[in-house]
Amino acid sequence: MPSSSSSRESQLLVPLHVSYIKALGEKKDDLAYHLTTHLRLNAIYWGLTALCIMGQKDALDRDEMIEFVMSCWDDEAGTFGAHPDHDAHLLSTLSAIQILVTHDALDRVDIPRVVKFILSLHQASGVFAGDAFGEIDTRFTYCAVSALSLLGQLHLLDGEPKERTINYIVRCRNFDGGFGSRIGAESHAGQVFVCVAALAILDRLDEVDVQTLGWWLCERQLPNGGLNGRPEKLEDVCYSFWVLSALAILDKIPWIDAEKLTAFILAAQDTESGGIADRPDNMVDVFHTLFGVAGAPLALVRMCLISNDDILGLSLLGYPGLVDLDPVYCMPAAIIEGKGLKKQWKALERRIA
Amino acid sequence: MRTPLEQECQSLMSLSEETIALYADRPEWSDVTPLAQYEDANPIAPIFYSPEYRDATDYFRGVVKTGEKSERVLKLTEHIIRLNPAHYSAWQYRYETLLAVNASLQAELELMDELAVAFLKTYQVWHHRRLLLMLTRKPAPELAFIEKSLKVDAKNYHTWSYRQWLLAFFNDDDLWDGELDFVDMMLAQDIRNNSAWHHRFFVVFESGLREGETDRGRIVRRELTYVKQNISLVANNPSAWNYLRGILDTNKLPYSRVEDFVRPYAATTPDSSTTDLVDLENPPPPRGAQLPCPAAIEFLADIHEKEGGKEQILQATELWRSLADEHDTIRKKYWEYRIREALRVMKD
Repeated sequence: MPSSSSSRESQLLVPLHVSYIKALGEKKDDLAYHLTTHLRLNAIYWGLTALCIMGQKDALDRDEMIEFVMSCWDDEAGTFGAHPDHDAHLLSTLSAIQILVTHDALDRVDIPRVVKFILSLHQASGVFAGDAFGEIDTRFTYCAVSALSLLGQLHLLDGEPKERTINYIVRCRNFDGGFGSRIGAESHAGQVFVCVAALAILDRLDEVDVQTLGWWLCERQLPNGGLNGRPEKLEDVCYSFWVLSALAILDKIPWIDAEKLTAFILAAQDTESGGIADRPDNMVDVFHTLFGVAGAPLALVRMCLISNDDILGLSLLGYPGLVDLDPVYCMPAAIIEGKGLKKQWKALERRIA
Repeated sequence: MRTPLEQECQSLMSLSEETIALYADRPEWSDVTPLAQYEDANPIAPIFYSPEYRDATDYFRGVVKTGEKSERVLKLTEHIIRLNPAHYSAWQYRYETLLAVNASLQAELELMDELAVAFLKTYQVWHHRRLLLMLTRKPAPELAFIEKSLKVDAKNYHTWSYRQWLLAFFNDDDLWDGELDFVDMMLAQDIRNNSAWHHRFFVVFESGLREGETDRGRIVRRELTYVKQNISLVANNPSAWNYLRGILDTNKLPYSRVEDFVRPYAATTPDSSTTDLVDLENPPPPRGAQLPCPAAIEFLADIHEKEGGKEQILQATELWRSLADEHDTIRKKYWEYRIREALRVMKD
């Protein structure tokens, strides 16, 4: 939310955001740091993607990053944990793959083993579990489907497993057109994103009630321009990415007031110092993201002035000077296109500064 | 008042400030070889742990390595979970240990009553609870626990989702019996609580037919009356309007069925002629309500559009125009899209 103490910005402060992401590893002395190790790989993925979208991919050292990703390899499980010596998880698996794909370094991965791990989490109901502990959630379905697709192995779901996967997502569809985390659960913007994006990857967007869901998504916009994640909840910059990506996949971004949303996001930049642990309210914000806004599809760790996902959101809004983002895979569009994975989606045309 | 998030912060912080003897200094743990975490010099992701957390997790890795499952492992994992409730390996190992030592699951649930409220927003707390319930198979007391937990955060996604799971998984008529009263109580506290509205829809329309609910015509009438009465208490409540649409869509009923109810809500001023009449089918907007309700205007427009024909379509476009220009300007683009589409279809 916009900080009242800072001046309201109307421009994206690219150099400041880049330096914040670069400083990502230098904040050793705060409590949040050791509590976020289970999301570390995910945070690096968000940071890297935000850098790519700002055209600064090289701001973090490629080789060091790849070495860190590889140090998260859990040889027992045959995939990645969030941090060296952490247990394997589907979320960190997807983050690792996304980072390696972005850096064109997939050759480092034992793909058959990773695929085996992913498929081992597929449940009889069709949903995926996040890890061996067995927590199920549609966001893990997204992680599995996206990861298999990026690895070029989505065909392994062909036939009954694919139908089962789709069927579970469809059963999570609610009367308001939205999707929840599991059967019966309330619609939530984050879950809408993961379900819609997973259906897009599986080429089954026909299962989406586009009119009803499109309306539900644009109903998320509040008079101040910001978006909330559920009816009657407060707006928060962190929802802009999920709502926007889902709208882009359904080609409905023109239904919202892009100008007001852009202004809302830019005003949330803290021009004074930012820094996640510098101030009590920022501290709370770290926990807010650390514990996952209920149903957070890809747990977001705020490591810059506004969260990295908002920079991605601005890209979809056609903000000048940014690089195109693929809203389905949440990666630079050129990379996804280069892999021949591009699905139907539409962002706003990029504006000239 | 502190928010639940601040309370979470506080509980984590204060725990680290207490002076607790490190496992390394406790003779009863001297038989375990602690395993230090792999330290990576990579500046992208340096590791910082408090001495307490580092010590506990070193010993945790030590016991995992030897496969020890014992009472003290339960203490150790509880300690780690309190320091970092998102440590899923600690949760998983704790669960396996509970089974291995045949621990009291009731005691574990009592501990979880405390931890769930302290760490409401972590997935693991709720997942662990599901696993325990699948063993104890005593769902009834859970309803009261959930109610208590919703007092701390009435819209917590995990809590509601846990309740839905509990009801559907055990699917016992006694469990379902009190659900509508429960929703009433939650809506009495906050009529705009979308989670409660969603839950009502789940209970009534999406969880199968239970005894006494097979007369669907009666159920639909009951739900229509319920939602209308709620709208007549608070007119601009998107959750309630969505619920009204949900009833009609799910039961394939035309929106025109509620036209008489909707019309006064789409008017700019209250209709003074009917204020003394009590029409239970069509309760009027509350006194002082901000009129017109955008949701009601949209409803009327949908009714006109559905009727079809030039006259009706034009009436619909006028209503959308009033939303775009006056009553819901943030969604101007959407309303203009509706106008364009309707006119295009009319021309075709």
